[in-house]
Parts: sequence; structure tokens; C-alpha cells
Amino acid sequence: MKTTGRIVVGCLLGALAMPARSSEDFIDRLDESLSVSALGGAFRGRLSGSLDLEGYFFSQPPPGLMVASGPELFAPRLSMFLDVQLGEKIYAFVQARVDRGFDPTDGGMEGRFDEYALRLTPWQDGRFNFQVGKFATVVGSWVHRHGSWDNPFVTAPLPYENLTGMWDVAAVRNGSTLLRWAHVQPKHFPGDAFADSRFRLPIIWGPSYATGAAISGEVGKFTYAGEIKNGALASRPEYWGSDEVRWDHPTYSARVGFRPDERWTMGFSASAGSYLLPSAAPTIAPGTSLDDYREVVLAQDVGFAWHHWQLWAEAFETRFEIPTVGDVRTTAYYVEAKYKFTPQFSGAVRWNEQVFGTVSDSVGGRLPWGYDRWRIDVAPSFRFTPHVQVKLQYSVQPDDLGAHDYQHTLAVQFTVRF
Amino acid sequence: MKKIRLLIVFIGAVLAPGLGRAESVVEGRVPLPKARTAPVMNKRYEIVSKGGVVAMNPPLAVVYLEGDFPAAAVQPVTQMSQKDLAFVPLLLPIRVGTKVEFPNLDDTYHDVFSYSAPKRFDLGRYLPGEKPVPSQVFEVPGLVTLRCDIHEHMRGLILVLATPHFVITDTEGHFRLGGLPVGRYVLKAWVDSKTTLERTVELKENSVLQADFP
Ligand SMILES: [Cu+2]
Repeated sequence: MKTTGRIVVGCLLGALAMPARSSEDFIDRLDESLSVSALGGAFRGRLSGSLDLEGYFFSQPPPGLMVASGPELFAPRLSMFLDVQLGEKIYAFVQARVDRGFDPTDGGMEGRFDEYALRLTPWQDGRFNFQVGKFATVVGSWVHRHGSWDNPFVTAPLPYENLTGMWDVAAVRNGSTLLRWAHVQPKHFPGDAFADSRFRLPIIWGPSYATGAAISGEVGKFTYAGEIKNGALASRPEYWGSDEVRWDHPTYSARVGFRPDERWTMGFSASAGSYLLPSAAPTIAPGTSLDDYREVVLAQDVGFAWHHWQLWAEAFETRFEIPTVGDVRTTAYYVEAKYKFTPQFSGAVRWNEQVFGTVSDSVGGRLPWGYDRWRIDVAPSFRFTPHVQVKLQYSVQPDDLGAHDYQHTLAVQFTVRF
Repeated sequence: MKKIRLLIVFIGAVLAPGLGRAESVVEGRVPLPKARTAPVMNKRYEIVSKGGVVAMNPPLAVVYLEGDFPAAAVQPVTQMSQKDLAFVPLLLPIRVGTKVEFPNLDDTYHDVFSYSAPKRFDLGRYLPGEKPVPSQVFEVPGLVTLRCDIHEHMRGLILVLATPHFVITDTEGHFRLGGLPVGRYVLKAWVDSKTTLERTVELKENSVLQADFP
């Protein structure tokens, strides 16, 4: 609590002491100096970024995709964006980050290029776009607000970070193995509950910045998008880079959206691809291929926004195919609402839930292959200036072990964007 | 446009002598800063991207006569719209007490807000064509920076002035401010948030004063 708490409190006091107007002016001028233009405005580039200082306080084990040995975590992150527009038809962007891991860990600082993409827009009515690179998935609706400035919460919705018992480094042989990996059987202990978390997968790993190509467009009230990527939605950040050759087993995803008017958005997404790493090939059943170990996701999203309200909901039906066991299924969804009380003060609440199907155990019965879980997130946020904001998040979810025990997580995030 | 201007000049020529008021005109030039780099839109997570060139905005100045003037008899009403993901006009000088409407002329949402000290507000998301058109009344003089919570690159300025006598320059910096009262006044030229030029002017009856800003 001490170090993280002190740093966070220091940031808050710093923000309060900052003369809002001068910082606003300063960042606006910085913004201008980080923009370049050439060829009479046909080439324009802009460097921008955000600095996030995050503090987490939780009971062990850490929730979601975080990795930490203690009850607190301080996670600073610098994100830099480069947006380039070349004429009307070519757009490119890069996102580079320096932080303590793609998902907060208590390890050292590292730098990464998380996204880079080139987009072609041959027609100005937006009917067709082609994009190639390493970029966020077209599936679902959360990607549009996953950046720290736009996300009403500090963390991702549960479906984007709740670990299942499925691994990517080895294939499941039988139901008992899966139940052991999911810590459903035999009875596990809190200490080792997350000892193997580095092998485990959620159904969709955050914004899933895998490498590949996408097409997208808008036709009347409909939008479409499709992509071919080198990793399944569940695949982990370390394998999103193009150097991990998985083009023999690509993942296909698509979304069709409908927008009756500006208030409503609705979408259906689907994705299918192998969730196993190439290195897992020696562990698969004889006579099968990596493509027989697919993750198949069907997702629906709906959004509503009007005046100071914004509401989102997404549901994911996921099945992991295991030739020796059969398909194992899980359903996850969340409903999120944000309301802007004043120009500067907003609040958001989110209900998340994930339930698991069953798998045969070794003694002829069937058991759920994961703990059903719900989580409530509450997050007030305050914008000091158009460039400085602070968010608090409180989350509660039941403990897997005790029926009446709850895990509490408190997160604070201070963001300066420029 | 040219015809309308001619018509205005004609009506003015017919009406002005009839009014018999001692009105003065000041004209001149304001040195304008270099044009800024046009903003680049952030389209990273928009699966559908339309267009790519954001209109260049040549810098303009607002020239106004400072002084103690009676309040307007009727509340002035004007508009600042959102069109093609930009504010139109980009710079709007208004008199204190003016009601500004913000019609959305795009087929997409905007969320116009300001954190500037003279006026803090957030209009929220409203449909194109939604009635009543969201509006704000500006009671405190000063500069209000408008932004959009959805489109990071959008910027608009409203300059709230305590005087009814103001005019926006052309792109060369030329201005002509007519219908002015006679007397000794301070003429100011707002150039940007950091720069306001000023000079004193002696306005005489039915005369045109040349007043360039250095
Ligand atoms: Cu906008």
C-alpha cells in the first residue's frame, strides 16, 4: 500500500495543484509542435501520446491478467501514437508503449511496438477499406474504447481478461487434465491457484493486437469488417508479432454491424482459429492437426448513446474444440453504463458474468470446466482539463474457494494525454 | 455573395445619411501569424474511415472597439455548427449575452464541450436535426475553446466580447469596422490566445480612419 499509495496520492495532488488553464495551453501548443505537414498538406503526421499512472490494491491472487506477488501494484505506462495521413487514401498509425508488461506485472519496464498498420481507402464514401499490419481485432465493440482516455474503467470487461483453464502451450488430453488446469479438480490451494497462469487463456485477450490484414466498410446503415490474423482471439500478446509464424493456421474473424440511427449500434461477430501454439504440436492427439484445436467465438454487441448516457453490452459464446474430449463451452457477457453528471465528472457501472459448460471427469460424471464468476465494477472519473483525468475503480467478485468470501480490487488511474 | 455584398452597400448608402447619426468607420490591417499545420484525424479504431483531409484554417483576427456600451435590447442569437468533422465557423466572435446554437450538420455524433473558465459546458450527444438545437448563453467575456469528446482533432473558438463593435478580418488581415460612435477609444485586435494587439483611435464624425496594427 505504501509505495503505490504514495505515488498515486502524489499524482493526485500534483494534478490538483496544476493551474488548469496554463497546462491546457501548454499541451495544445505541444500538440501543434508535434504535428508536421509537407507537400502542401497532402502529407500530415502527428505524434501524440498518453502517460498513465496506475495503482492496484487487491487480495491475492491478482485479478484478471495481472501478475504480482504482493497485494499492490504500481503500473506506469507511456503510450506514443503516430498518425500519418497521405492524401485522402492512405492512413497509417503506430502505437508504441513503455510499461511493466502488456498487462500490469511487477516486473521491470519494457518497450514494445503494440500496433502498426497501413490503411487504404480507395473510395471516399467509406464503402471499402483495406488494412494490413498489427492491430486491434474487428470483433466486438470494446476495442473502440480500450484506450485509457476513452475506457470508462481502469480494467477491461471480464470476457477480455478472465482466465479459463485452457492452455496454449499444450493440448488437453482428457477431461481430468482440463479440470486440473482450471483448478476445479483436484481441490486447489490459493497459493498455487495462479502458479500456471502464464499458460492459461481468456476467451479474448484484451484488444487482441494480432498481425494480419482486414477489410472493412460501410454500406448504408450497415458496416462490415473481416480479418485474417496470425493468432486466435485468445492468443497472448507475446505471440501477436509477425515473427511468430502461424500463417499455416490463421484465424478468421468478421463482424457485421447495423446502425438504425446514431443512438444505436448492433453487431454480430464470429471468429475461428487454432488456440494452440506451434510448439504445442507434439502434444496433440495422433492423427489430428493444430487446426482441429480451434477456438470458435460467436459474439453479439449492442450500444446506445444519447445525451449524457452511453450504454454497451456484449455477449460471447465460445467453444474450444478438443478432439479427444469434445467441445467445451463458456458464455461470457457484460453490461456497462456511463453517465456524465457534469462536464468533468462521470460515473460508470458494469456487470460482468462468465459461466462454464461441463466436461467428463475421470469417474464418469460431468463437472463445469471453470468456476462461474460474476463481477461488479464501479468507476467514477474526473477530468481536470481536456488532457488530464483521474479514474477510480472498485471491483468485487466472489472468491472461488469460499461461498461467502469476496475478492475486492481497488484501482486508480491518472492519465495525461498530449 | 458578391451581389449580396453590393446590395448591403447599396442599402447602407441609402440609409446611412437618413439616420443622421455621427458614425465613424475604422479600417486597416492586422499582421496574422503563419498558418498552422492542419490536424490529423485519429482513425485508429474506426473500421470505417471516410475522407482524410481536414480543412486548412488560415489564421484570422478579431478587431473590436473597447468601451462602455449599453446592453443589447434583444438577446443576439447565432450559430456554430459542426460540419464534416469541424466547427463552422472555426472562430466566432460574439457579444456578451449572446445565445449560441450548436447544430450538428453531420450524420454522425459529436459531443461539444468546453473547460474554459468563461464557460464550462458539455452538450452531450444529440442527433442531427434534434430539436431544440442545443445552445449555450455566454455571459462572461473571454476566450472559450470548444472541443469534441468524440473527435480529438476538432477545435473551435468563441471569443466573448463586452462590445457590440467587432469584426473578423479576412485572410490577409484586412478589416473594416463601421457604425462606430465618435470619440476616443482603444481598438484591439485579438490574434490568438496569447496575442491581443491594441492602439488608441480618435473617431471623428462621418470619417474613415486608417488604423493598421504594427
Ligand atoms: Cu465531433
